[in-house]
Amino acid sequence: MLNQKHSFAFEVLRYGLIVLVVSFFFFPIFWMLLTSFKPETAIMVSPPQFLFTPTLENYRHALVDKNFLFYIKNTLIISIISTAIVVAIGSLAAYSFARFNVGDGHILFFLLSTKMMPAIAVILPYFLIFRDVGKTTVGATLHLGLDQHGALIVSYVMFNLPFAIWLLVSFFQDIPRELEHSARLDGLSRLQVLRKVTFPLAAPSIAVTAVFTLIFCWNEFLFAYILTRKMASTVTVGVESFFTLQGILWGPVAAAATISVAPMLLFVLAMQRYMVRGLTFGAVRG
Amino acid sequence: MYSFVNVHKRYGLRTVALRKLNLDIRQREFFVLYGPAGAGKSTILNLIAGTTKPTSGDLLRNGHSIVHLPPERRGAAMAFENYALYSHLSVAENLAFPLRAQGIVKAEVEERVRKIASVLGIGHVLERRPGFLSGGQRQRVALGRAIIRPADIYLLDEPIGHLDAKLRHKMRAELKALAEDMHATVLFTTTSNKEALALGDRVGVLNSGRLEQVGTPHELYHKPANTFVGSFIGDPPMSFISVSVEVDQGNCKLRTADGRIIGRMDTPPPTNATLKLGIRPNAITLSDTEMPETIPGRIDVIEHLGHSKIAVISAGKDNISVSLPAASPARIGDKVWMAVNSSGYHVFANETAIQRGIN
Repeated sequence: MLNQKHSFAFEVLRYGLIVLVVSFFFFPIFWMLLTSFKPETAIMVSPPQFLFTPTLENYRHALVDKNFLFYIKNTLIISIISTAIVVAIGSLAAYSFARFNVGDGHILFFLLSTKMMPAIAVILPYFLIFRDVGKTTVGATLHLGLDQHGALIVSYVMFNLPFAIWLLVSFFQDIPRELEHSARLDGLSRLQVLRKVTFPLAAPSIAVTAVFTLIFCWNEFLFAYILTRKMASTVTVGVESFFTLQGILWGPVAAAATISVAPMLLFVLAMQRYMVRGLTFGAVRG
Repeated sequence: MYSFVNVHKRYGLRTVALRKLNLDIRQREFFVLYGPAGAGKSTILNLIAGTTKPTSGDLLRNGHSIVHLPPERRGAAMAFENYALYSHLSVAENLAFPLRAQGIVKAEVEERVRKIASVLGIGHVLERRPGFLSGGQRQRVALGRAIIRPADIYLLDEPIGHLDAKLRHKMRAELKALAEDMHATVLFTTTSNKEALALGDRVGVLNSGRLEQVGTPHELYHKPANTFVGSFIGDPPMSFISVSVEVDQGNCKLRTADGRIIGRMDTPPPTNATLKLGIRPNAITLSDTEMPETIPGRIDVIEHLGHSKIAVISAGKDNISVSLPAASPARIGDKVWMAVNSSGYHVFANETAIQRGIN
């Protein structure tokens, strides 16, 4: 009986703690959502208001006046193309590192080391490079100039590839070599083995890597802010545009932020089961 | 026929997996590679499969070198110790994989999958993924995938090692019968003494990358080439007693450390050699009173095997295993005298057999 009381108290404490931690992480999102439906007068008042007459005015302002869907479209184009390139190059490179130990670990380390500097350190050279490349014929054809999609795609690929490779190398290392040996003995060539055995087995892990890359691209601000002005601006830059000289339009900011968070949130929720499978991935063995 | 000619295999700079291996595997023979973990058994299979290459030496198939052939042209089928099942495919698809890879028509693939599944007793799990099978079932799928298609040689890497004792016994018999039906050349690895002796037409005993002896199970048991083979073949293994030799009027007597005579030799051993007497458990007779040419000891352990008992007897520094009838009254703590059957011992000089007993 004593024990039961004790465990009841323990359970209360446990769930109390869980609620506390979850609210700590979710409160900003909740507040953003709440603010996006508040009339302007209810936003900056003290004490903060939880009860108010909801309005869609902020959404109207963001979507109609500011044409926020334009930023969403840009972000979709840039994120999806960057992710596709990162996953395509990354999985082949990672396979090669995992199976053939290319460069004896040194190349892999060099790749990772490019992530050791802050992005701000390279932003100026990137700016200058894209400015000049954009003026060449090839650069112009590939939209590699400033304020063009190509420039951001190249930057995102450069920045996400090392992480993707690093993540995928360990996934590929987890696939026992014997699976490939077995398929080779059954008469498949090395490329057929990749297509029919290795990549299907690594699919959950590749999906996880794609999700992470997509999230990074979607949420990136610094490069998007420096390398674009108007035509190729992404959602993060779009939100920033509500910080005007006349003041910060908190209501529309919250509405725009909600619109930008929503697709990723829904996407990750939909992928959740797959991601857990990918992260705990392992082939069948003894 | 597959022949290893002076094959040396090293992993990295330090790990030597095989040392100067010379071995012939004959057509249609069931050859068992037997040795402790890390002896180089799997390396030999991988060399034939083409998934690894020798550091030096040559590997021949019917007289032609196959070292440079890729795995898909080696004509080998393999069952891996860790199963290597495709977790994204069902059991049926796993079994069908080698057949599909060779472009065999669907109807025939299905027919062969059904047949092999019924032979291996996995017909009821064909639609499951490998992740939902027990260890024994996975091992049978792995075995099935290896033997489902015709091959020049079947490489089976401890294919029944993870099964429970009853199933292992059953599979051992089925595997042997299957190999004979298929007229197949099989190279089978194991760490089990019983499997090696039961299955092999010939057995190769490996130790730290060195082939210690190749022979029929009978030869290995009755004529071990050295103390390693003696100690590794037979269950319980051969026991060893350190002895010295005394030459007296052309008569070589073997003495234990405390001076008792326990055997004789026909010819004197090499001078300065360290001598050991190897005795099989069934070559010792126990008595409870001292007799000529016996050694005293004390029973430390008795293992009941049902049909017989094994007594582990300490005699000075040596432990000696003795096989006793199930009805023997011997008990732990008994003081006994051991007489070694005059034809039942092997004399080893510097670990190599120089005189062999006949059991």
